[in-house]
Amino acid sequence: MSSAFNTRLLAVWLLLSSMTLAYAWLDHSADDEMIRPSAVVTVSAIAIALLKVRIIFREFMEVRHAPALLCRLTDAWVLLIAVCLLGSYFLGMTIVN
Amino acid sequence: MWAFVLFETLVFTSYFVVYLLFRAQHHELYLQAQANLDLRIGIFNTIALLLSSWAVARCVQASRDGAYRSALTNAFMTIFFGFVFFVSKVLEWAKEIRMGNGFTTNEFFQHYFFLTSIHFLHLLIGFIVMGVVIYQLWSPKRRSQELVETGATYWHTVDFLWVLIFALLYVVR
Repeated sequence: MSSAFNTRLLAVWLLLSSMTLAYAWLDHSADDEMIRPSAVVTVSAIAIALLKVRIIFREFMEVRHAPALLCRLTDAWVLLIAVCLLGSYFLGMTIVN
Repeated sequence: MWAFVLFETLVFTSYFVVYLLFRAQHHELYLQAQANLDLRIGIFNTIALLLSSWAVARCVQASRDGAYRSALTNAFMTIFFGFVFFVSKVLEWAKEIRMGNGFTTNEFFQHYFFLTSIHFLHLLIGFIVMGVVIYQLWSPKRRSQELVETGATYWHTVDFLWVLIFALLYVVR
């Protein structure tokens, strides 16, 4: 196994794990004694998750070496998920208010 | 396999949309119920699955380079970290049920148990897929890089679907 590729995979895993640990900080900074509603936490949580999904696509699933069509398709998919998740969150909040 | 990956992602995204819309209707209930989940367990589970994804990516690369012993080791590591997630998830379910948070307790826990169970089913299928990958890698006569990569793509799908589920169940407010 090429050591450069090996090192890159390790760096990607470290990055993804750090982003996961960032949720603990996000959770801790958002609440004092009780969980409160927060659009900032929600948008940040979804954005971090989608960024992680894109990194998994490109690095672990090797999409960065794939034909351009698959690169564009997976990026479009991440964008589609973002629109669906954020859209339904804000739409739901608007309907209730 | 990529058509399956994109289709599965769409199916899960449709459910996430339903979950977020329901959540907005009963925001307080969801927040109170969510407080019963332990974020640390969610983080531990996520890191375990990320480790398994890392191992299966190494398995693909090793197999491509003809380093089949290393590929097999990494395939076993993938299953091991997947099993860590498996045990942790079962223990978390047992903990929640002991605390009185079952499938019928409230709407949040209905979504929680439904989403985590469907994902768990995907994980179980992933074990079978990795078993096939190991079976193929074991003998020089059966080795197929295409099959190893297809199996890895499925395993990564199990991983990134969990990344989304974790954010939506444990972190969003």
